[in-house]
Amino acid sequence: MKLRAHVVAMTGLIVGLCSFAPLIGQDSGNEEVRFGYVDVVIDAGAPLAAYQFEIVDPTGSAVLVGVEGGELPSFAAAPYYDPAALQQSRVIVGDFQLDEELQSGSQRVARLHYMVSGASVPDYSATLMVAAGLDGSAVPAQVRWTWGESK
Amino acid sequence: MNWWNKVVPASCLIVGVALLLWGCQSQVPANRQLGNDAAPSQFEAERSSELSEYLSRGAVSPSSKYKTRSFDGRRSRPPGRTREPREKAQKPDNGAFDELWIIPRDSQGNPMGPAGLPGSGALVTRDPDTQHNIVIPLEHTDVRAQIDGCVASVVVNQQFHNPYDTKIEAKYVFPLPQDAAVTDFEMTVGERRIRGVIREREQAEQIYQAARRQGRVASLLTQERPNVFTQSVANIEPGKSVAVAITYFNTLRFVDGAYEFVFPMIVGPRFNPPGSQNGIGAVAVGQVGASRQPTEVSYLRPAQRSGHDIAITVELDAGLPLGTISSPTHAIEDERASQTSALITLSANDQIPNRDFVLRYVVAGENTNTSLVTHEDDRGGFFQLLLVPPANLSRTERRPCEFIFVLDCSGSMQGRPLRLAKSAAQRALRHLQAQDTFQIVRFSQDVSQLGPAPIRATPENVRRGVEYLESLKGSRGTHMIQGIKAALDFPHDESRLRIVSFLTDGYIGNEVEIFQAIDERLGSARLFGLGVGSSVNRYLLDGISSLGRGAVTYVGLDESAVEAADSFYRAVSHAALTDVAVDWNGLEVSEVTPRRSPDLLVGRPVVISGRYTGEPPRFVRVSGWAEGVQVQWDVPLGEPSRNPAIASVWARQQIRYLSDLNPTVVQRDANRAEIRQTVLDLALQHNLMSAYTAFVAVDTTRITEGDHGVTVPVPVPTPAGVRYETTVGD
Repeated sequence: MKLRAHVVAMTGLIVGLCSFAPLIGQDSGNEEVRFGYVDVVIDAGAPLAAYQFEIVDPTGSAVLVGVEGGELPSFAAAPYYDPAALQQSRVIVGDFQLDEELQSGSQRVARLHYMVSGASVPDYSATLMVAAGLDGSAVPAQVRWTWGESK
Repeated sequence: MNWWNKVVPASCLIVGVALLLWGCQSQVPANRQLGNDAAPSQFEAERSSELSEYLSRGAVSPSSKYKTRSFDGRRSRPPGRTREPREKAQKPDNGAFDELWIIPRDSQGNPMGPAGLPGSGALVTRDPDTQHNIVIPLEHTDVRAQIDGCVASVVVNQQFHNPYDTKIEAKYVFPLPQDAAVTDFEMTVGERRIRGVIREREQAEQIYQAARRQGRVASLLTQERPNVFTQSVANIEPGKSVAVAITYFNTLRFVDGAYEFVFPMIVGPRFNPPGSQNGIGAVAVGQVGASRQPTEVSYLRPAQRSGHDIAITVELDAGLPLGTISSPTHAIEDERASQTSALITLSANDQIPNRDFVLRYVVAGENTNTSLVTHEDDRGGFFQLLLVPPANLSRTERRPCEFIFVLDCSGSMQGRPLRLAKSAAQRALRHLQAQDTFQIVRFSQDVSQLGPAPIRATPENVRRGVEYLESLKGSRGTHMIQGIKAALDFPHDESRLRIVSFLTDGYIGNEVEIFQAIDERLGSARLFGLGVGSSVNRYLLDGISSLGRGAVTYVGLDESAVEAADSFYRAVSHAALTDVAVDWNGLEVSEVTPRRSPDLLVGRPVVISGRYTGEPPRFVRVSGWAEGVQVQWDVPLGEPSRNPAIASVWARQQIRYLSDLNPTVVQRDANRAEIRQTVLDLALQHNLMSAYTAFVAVDTTRITEGDHGVTVPVPVPTPAGVRYETTVGD
């Protein structure tokens, strides 16, 4: 009698727990990816007419899902990325502008949209490859990035 | 202890059952988060009272003109119950709107289609002011083309808008040219523009679905055929708009002295043979999933209209003085900017997207010459050679031929398309020479023919053929494979060149199967196509003629069948130049397409593209055989023109010959995986759409409110001249 009672009890518990199994899987599935964006800012010592930067996520947890332009009219159009570099998990983005009024100082030139796995903010490494003025000469400049995420 | 022995198991059972019930209920929202829009109760509601009860639970904004509700039912379906798809119409509760809820299910009564595919339910709203108008989430398509020489660069802007008061996902199946090299994709949300990223298709679909589940505005562009694409836009909020811009390049056709720019506007209703699992379904508005095909086009009923319109602008820079510019399909306005350039716009009175747009122009003065276009970048050099047949080819005599005319007599051809096809075939029959033989094959649901073997083209037999053609009628399905087998399996007279001409609109969903059948049976035959109708499946027709080393002619509904037949006959009435070879005069060329040497036909130049290293030469030497006589001539190239689109056009051509037109290798060979990888690498490196790649764009800056809403397919009209009743039906 005791054995039968325990068997029945265990069956009840197993049935109850099994009903949770799909939920557990789904919940973890929902949390497996997040979306966020990287604002790339260039601090230029002279009016900026062209730029190119590379941004890399060393952990490989971030997937580029969109490329958006900057905050000012000069670089408002969505810039282009290098598709060949993308296949090597490198994101190289560049743009140039000759018509609009060019700006010096700090400006957001691009916003990169990412899908990331895991809970932490990706630790990107950004390298400024080109910063040039209207005449094609190099402009003293630095690049930095900030992470944004809506929840 | 006895009471304990009874209480513990009883309690456990109660807890277990309670947990089980709780778990079952909790799974519904969880499933929805995973993208299963197909809510069980929608598929399972079996009585109108149940449906009304269900509908009454939805949130409705009384202020809105069009009222909608999203699916969130809970009931479970008794096992084993079967049901056909059906519709239920709600009475207007205040006279302001009609609602039509669509309840698709398969023969077992199960929800149709996994996440992201048709079957997730649909919502259709009628405008109360004009009862036949259907409000759809695609407002406008704007096409801007720039033609430079023989290469077109085209931007297609699709403007989606949510007219409902609930969030939606819009799905639009639309055509592009079969050789379009789609290289760019941009999504506009409000004032913000986000460039899409090329990804392996499965990964792009996963990204899109994850973004959609999380309520983010996202868009996905996938290729279903080289000329059929699906645009999905997720989480369009009520009253909001999202636009997507697609950029592609393609090479213009050059036929009988005229360049031809074509922009397809509509995917015609395809027939899928029984058992097809990768077809393109055709369903009536609201019957989502009823075709059971992974890609599905919804068609408006004959009396229905949507507000979707189209604008086309073409900036033409021919590089040489322009002759006549005309459109056999649409009213256009032609503004000459200079002797060599013009701005062409689609007339404001002709903006219903129910037939392909065709623009033809001729370059005045001299004959078109062979020309070379190149491009160099850090990937190397790319070229495109437009090879024009030698002038004296039109003076050569052809050997006797065995003509097989294969007429598509299916339901989609009923009416004017079949009349045009019959007229063209009759005209071609009258051109035949006494030493030729011919046969006529018709196919629809079955196949039959004038006789068991090719017959001599005597006046009496030609008259019999003309009468036989006259007797043909269009109805039922399109079992083209049977027509191909019948045409190519005739005993062949080796003394004659077999020329098989397919007269069809190409509305089938099993193109690869057709290509395979041709590849198996082709032999020495040459295949020609006569595409008939307002929106022909050019992927199929071009593919048939390319595999069969022939050519294709298209005739629109308002064009002359006689001229089309004459164009076809001009191409076959002289000897073709076969085994064409190009000596590149020291230039190192590689990865040249087409792989198989094309035949040169009178009036039909061919385009050869490839990669090169070195300095482009001043001339190339071309050789070939015309009826047993070797022909060789030098072609001056002049200064090559430059066009960066050539690299993308080359990559697209490579993909075409690796996969689209290579059914034998791709479908059956052990190297299939290797070829897939080659195509994938090529597409990713060149940012190109393909069967294995897709563009995805996600706005990660905000999450829209609520769940991902209802999936709304964008319905389209049946192409002009195509009968709804014999193709889509209800």
